[in-house]
Amino acid sequence: MSETTMKRHMGLKASRTLGNTLIYILLIVISIIWLVPFFCIVLQSFRVESTWQVGYVIPKVWGIDNYRNLFSTDFPRWYINTFITAVCTALLQTIIVLCMSYTLSRFRFKMRKPLMRFMLILGMFPGMLAMIILYRVLKDLGLTQANATPGLILVYVASSGMGYYVSKGFFDTIPKSLDEAARIDGATRFQILKKIILPLSKPIVIYTILTAFMGPWGDFVFARYISFGASAGMNVAVGLYNWLTPDQINNNYTMFCAGGVLVAIPVTLLFLFLQKYYVEGVTGGAVKG
Amino acid sequence: MASVKLTDVKKIYDNKVTAVHDFNLEIKDKEFVVFVGPSGCGKSTTLRMIAGLEDISAGTLEIDGEVVNDLQPKDRDIAMVFQNYALYPHMTVYDNIAFSLRLKKVPEDEIFTRVTNAAQILGITEYLTRKPRALSGGQRQRVAIGRAMVRNAKVFLMDEPLSNLDAKLRNQMRAEIILLRQKLDTTFVYVTHDQTEAMTLGDRIVIMKDGFIEQVGTPQEVFDMPVNLFVAGFIGSPQMNFLKAKLVQEGSGYCVEILGARIPLNADQTAVLEKKNVKSQDIILGVRPEHTTVLFEQAENAIECTIDVNEMMGSELHLHLSSANDDKIIVRLPTVDLTKEQRDSLAYGNKMYITFPAKVMHLFDPETERSLIDG
Repeated sequence: MSETTMKRHMGLKASRTLGNTLIYILLIVISIIWLVPFFCIVLQSFRVESTWQVGYVIPKVWGIDNYRNLFSTDFPRWYINTFITAVCTALLQTIIVLCMSYTLSRFRFKMRKPLMRFMLILGMFPGMLAMIILYRVLKDLGLTQANATPGLILVYVASSGMGYYVSKGFFDTIPKSLDEAARIDGATRFQILKKIILPLSKPIVIYTILTAFMGPWGDFVFARYISFGASAGMNVAVGLYNWLTPDQINNNYTMFCAGGVLVAIPVTLLFLFLQKYYVEGVTGGAVKG
Repeated sequence: MASVKLTDVKKIYDNKVTAVHDFNLEIKDKEFVVFVGPSGCGKSTTLRMIAGLEDISAGTLEIDGEVVNDLQPKDRDIAMVFQNYALYPHMTVYDNIAFSLRLKKVPEDEIFTRVTNAAQILGITEYLTRKPRALSGGQRQRVAIGRAMVRNAKVFLMDEPLSNLDAKLRNQMRAEIILLRQKLDTTFVYVTHDQTEAMTLGDRIVIMKDGFIEQVGTPQEVFDMPVNLFVAGFIGSPQMNFLKAKLVQEGSGYCVEILGARIPLNADQTAVLEKKNVKSQDIILGVRPEHTTVLFEQAENAIECTIDVNEMMGSELHLHLSSANDDKIIVRLPTVDLTKEQRDSLAYGNKMYITFPAKVMHLFDPETERSLIDG
């Protein structure tokens, strides 16, 4: 290698290293900005010297009183409501979305394309538009206020078929000749879905479960509207929010932080365990060969 | 083992495109029939209709005397090998082969026997625990064949099973399919676009074009007696030469006039033409490259040509020639008897002469494109 080429090579390497260093510094700063609020909430949840908002972050007296106190409120009820809603929605929505996606990917029937277009357009309208009529329907069915949990499950699951895009895109990349080979081997359509398509679509199944779980777990607007002030029907987001009203915030602020930490735990664990599949699932539909 | 009968079978797609027109064919028990034709000729569609993967728009399909038009693929008792193997990627080779048997709830010990037997025949025993991605193309195709074999199905369908393999492996697998056919002794329907595969594998060949059957016959029949220009050009490699010529009736006989040469037809050809009452007319003369004799000097009834390209194929040369009226002609010339001078003379732009006997000539009507003698 000549001296000039060597110098050029070293120069390129140095500029690349500098570029990478700057990018990493920027990313670290962004991460810190992002993590600070979470970090503060976790610290505040262990503060026992006062339940008010204070001007410092690190507690002077540490303890788990706030967590203990949560159990003397309606928090466990809200937590269970949220958990039941999220699990049932995740389960039912996943089944519906996967069946819908498989049908739209593999079957050819009249009005298939208009149906897909119709659902796409329908999905563009904000869900809030339907809130008043949904409340009316659920009220007539007796599924509001204290009975909001089944009502919410119904609302979340009913529209789930429209979220077929990602998984249909993924199923489309699985060669149809696999279905045909399985049909000739004697499999029914359901057996093909169960034994061939789903095992090949693990990432997208995980992705569907996660998104179906996350929606109800963090929902506020619909949950607040349907529970309509009845504590027994609230989910954690609505229940905890009520502690932030001006007359309650000073008594409940640290407990609110403890509740926030407990809400984050299942989702964090779920993401940690399924992170690998989740990332694959998001990108898998586009490039899987 | 079963017969397959297609009567007036049609396939019309939703967009009104007709892929297969009035397909009539009876495949006998234990017969090996090959559907061959260019892309889009309807051969795979016909096979898929037999498999039950495509609906039949009109006509009837019978397997073993039973009309199966409306039966699901699983109820037709057929096995199929796909062009792209269609192996289940998440299953091992063993599980792939055992899949259909498990669906039928065959006892595990019998599944084991059948899978290991098939693997032994196909030479894939050592790969049974591997996943398809860890196999080469040839091994994958063997697994696909194994998956079809264990089912002991009545009819064995193969949709271009060798077209994803390289040339060497294709030749090897072709020979293995011939052996497999002898071992299985069942009815085979095989689809290919490769006429060599069709010729070497089939008891009978069905040549298709644009959804129509052009000719059905044994490999020898379709090679020796093509009924039209398409079949004549499709079967044989390099393809048959087509030359503009004149058929002349003179007295009780016929002769073909081409570029000054007059080649009298033989008694059999004359008899057929007389029977069909064919008069003197323009024709397209078909002559296969291997039936053409190359001369280095002018002789009686020899046609003068100019050499365009000389391809060295090892044991023979493929000479691409142009005649005086610009017909393109390919000639196969064995190298074994050529002297060095003769070889040197086969260079671009040089003149040479070709001749052929009447018995190898195929006469086609330029308008109908049908053979005047065969068919």
